[in-house]
Amino acid sequence: MNQAENIVLGGDFKVEALTISFGGLKAVNGFNLHLKPMELQGLIGPNGAGKTTVFNLITGVYLPDSGTSVLDGKSLIGLNPHQISKAGIARTFQNIRLFADLTVLENVMVSYHMRVGYGYFDIFLRTPRYYRIEQEFRDHAFQLLKVMGLEQRKDDKAKSLPYGDQRRLEIARALATEPKVLLLDEPAAGLNTQEKAALMGTIAEIRNRFKTTILLIEHDMKLVMGICEKITVLDHGEIIAVGTPREIQDNPKVIEAYLGVG
Amino acid sequence: MKRFQTLVLIAVVALLWGLNYLFEENLNPYVLRVIINCGIGMILAMSLNLVNGCAGQFSLGHAGFMGVGAYISATITSVLNLSPFFQTDLGVGCAIVMGGIVASIAGYLVGLPSLRLKGDYLAIVTLGFGEIIRICFLNIEAVGGARGLSGIPPKSNFFWVYLWVVVTFIALLRLLRSSYGRAILSVRENEIAAESMGIDISHYKVVAFVVSSFFAGIAGGLFAHFQSFIDPNSFVFNKSVEAVIMVVIGGMGSLSGAILGGVIVTLLPEVLRVFEQYRMVIFPLILIVLMLVRPMGLFGHKEIWELFRRKASS
Repeated sequence: MNQAENIVLGGDFKVEALTISFGGLKAVNGFNLHLKPMELQGLIGPNGAGKTTVFNLITGVYLPDSGTSVLDGKSLIGLNPHQISKAGIARTFQNIRLFADLTVLENVMVSYHMRVGYGYFDIFLRTPRYYRIEQEFRDHAFQLLKVMGLEQRKDDKAKSLPYGDQRRLEIARALATEPKVLLLDEPAAGLNTQEKAALMGTIAEIRNRFKTTILLIEHDMKLVMGICEKITVLDHGEIIAVGTPREIQDNPKVIEAYLGVG
Repeated sequence: MKRFQTLVLIAVVALLWGLNYLFEENLNPYVLRVIINCGIGMILAMSLNLVNGCAGQFSLGHAGFMGVGAYISATITSVLNLSPFFQTDLGVGCAIVMGGIVASIAGYLVGLPSLRLKGDYLAIVTLGFGEIIRICFLNIEAVGGARGLSGIPPKSNFFWVYLWVVVTFIALLRLLRSSYGRAILSVRENEIAAESMGIDISHYKVVAFVVSSFFAGIAGGLFAHFQSFIDPNSFVFNKSVEAVIMVVIGGMGSLSGAILGGVIVTLLPEVLRVFEQYRMVIFPLILIVLMLVRPMGLFGHKEIWELFRRKASS
C-alpha cells in the first residue's frame, strides 16, 4: 500500500436533503451536495451559516434528523464517526484537534491503525510481523510528512509545532486514512498570505497525487475561487447558491448574504 | 536483536533469583517485606496507569479488581482443595494468573457500561463498582466473609513479585509502543479526532480497562499469597485512592513514573515511622508539596530514559 502511488479512484459522494435541528433552530435544512470523483468543491457562507455542522453531519458526529448520505453506493447514515472514516471520508478540524502530546510521526501513524495487520499476540511477543508492519507504517507516515513538508519535525510533539505546521499536520493525518473524500474545514484560517498561497498549491497537489475528492470550507474567497471547480453557498442553514466561482461571484443572493442588503 | 533480548531476559530472571536468596538470607525481614510491598505497588500503579494515564479515563475502583484477583487466587489455593499442586510455587502461580483472568473479565463487565461516561461521572461509577465488588466478598461466607480468608500459602517471595513487575512492565511497554497503544493514547489526546481517524474509542477504552484489570488482579493475587491473609478491608476505597496517587505522582502515562510512584507511596509511610503519630500528617504534606512543585507528576508523560535523552540533546 504505497501511499503516494496508490490509486483508488472512487469518492463519488452524494448527500441529499440533510437536515438537523438543535432545539427550535434548523441548523442545516435540506442540504444537497454531489461530489464527483476527484472533484474539488468549495463550501462557503457567512459565520454561523452551518458549514461545520454539515461536516459534522457527514462524518457522523451528529445524526441528521433526515436526509441521505451515500459514498460510492454505500449509505453512511447512522454509522459512527470511526466507521465513516473507515468507509473513506476523512476530515480536518477548524479548531485544530491534534494529538498534542504524541509526536508528529505518531499523529500520522494513528490513522493507519484501521489497517493494522497484527494482533495482540504479535505485540507481546514482538514477532517479525510486528516489526515489519511498524516499519511500513513509519515509512509511509514519513513519506506523507514529506509531501506536507513536515519531515524535519517528525519527532517533535505535535503541540510544539507552529500554527501553520499544525494545520498541515492535520491534513497529513487525514490523508493517512487513505480517504476517498477529504473534508477540509478552513485549512487556511490563521495563515498569512504566503502560507495561503502555498496551501492552495498543496491542496491541488493532494488531489492529483492521492486521487481524492475534496470538499473545502473556507472564508478566504481568493483561495476558494482560485482552486474550486464548483461552489456551494450556505446561509442560515440553507443553500442559497450553487455554481462555478464566476457564477457565485455575480450572484446577488450571495452578495446580499455577505454584505447585507444595500 | 531478538537473541540479545532473550539473553537480557534470562539474565534478569537469574539476577532476581540470586537476589531472592541473598535477601532472604541477609536482609532484615521487615525490610524485605517493604521491598516486596513496593513491588506489588509497582504492578498496581503500572496497571492503573494504562487507564488513568494512557487512556485518560479516570477510574477510582482499582482496588476492586485487585480484590477479585486476590480472592479468586486465594480461593483456588486454599478454599477449594483441588489438588496439592496448588500448594506449590507453580500451582500458586497458575492460581494468580487465573485471578488475573477473572479480574479482567470483571473489568470487561464493569467497563462496558461505565466507559460511556466521562470524567467525574466515570470516577463515581467505578468507585461504586469497586465498593460493590468488595461488599460481595464481605457477604460470601465461603471465602470467610468479614472474618477474611487466612492460611493462604505464602508463596509470593521477592523473586515471584519482581518477576511479575518485569512481566507487567514489558507487556505494558510493548502494548503502548504498538499501533494499539497509539490508539489508546489518541483516545486520551482527543476523542473526537481519534474517532475521525477511524479509532473505535469505546473499544479501546474497554481494552485498556481489561488489560489494566488483569494486572490489578495479578497484584491482588501476589498480595494475597504474600500476606497469607486477606479480608474485604484490604481492598477498600482507600486502596484505590492510593493507586491513583501512585499514578499521579509518577506522571500520568509514564510507566517508569508509575513504578517510582508505587515505590514512593509504599515506602514513604514506612520511612516516616520515625515521626510516629505525625506520620500521616507529614505523608500527605509531602504529596501536596510534590504536586505544587511538579503538577504533571515526576516524569510527566515521559519515560525516565526519555527525560535523559531530552537533556542530552538540548
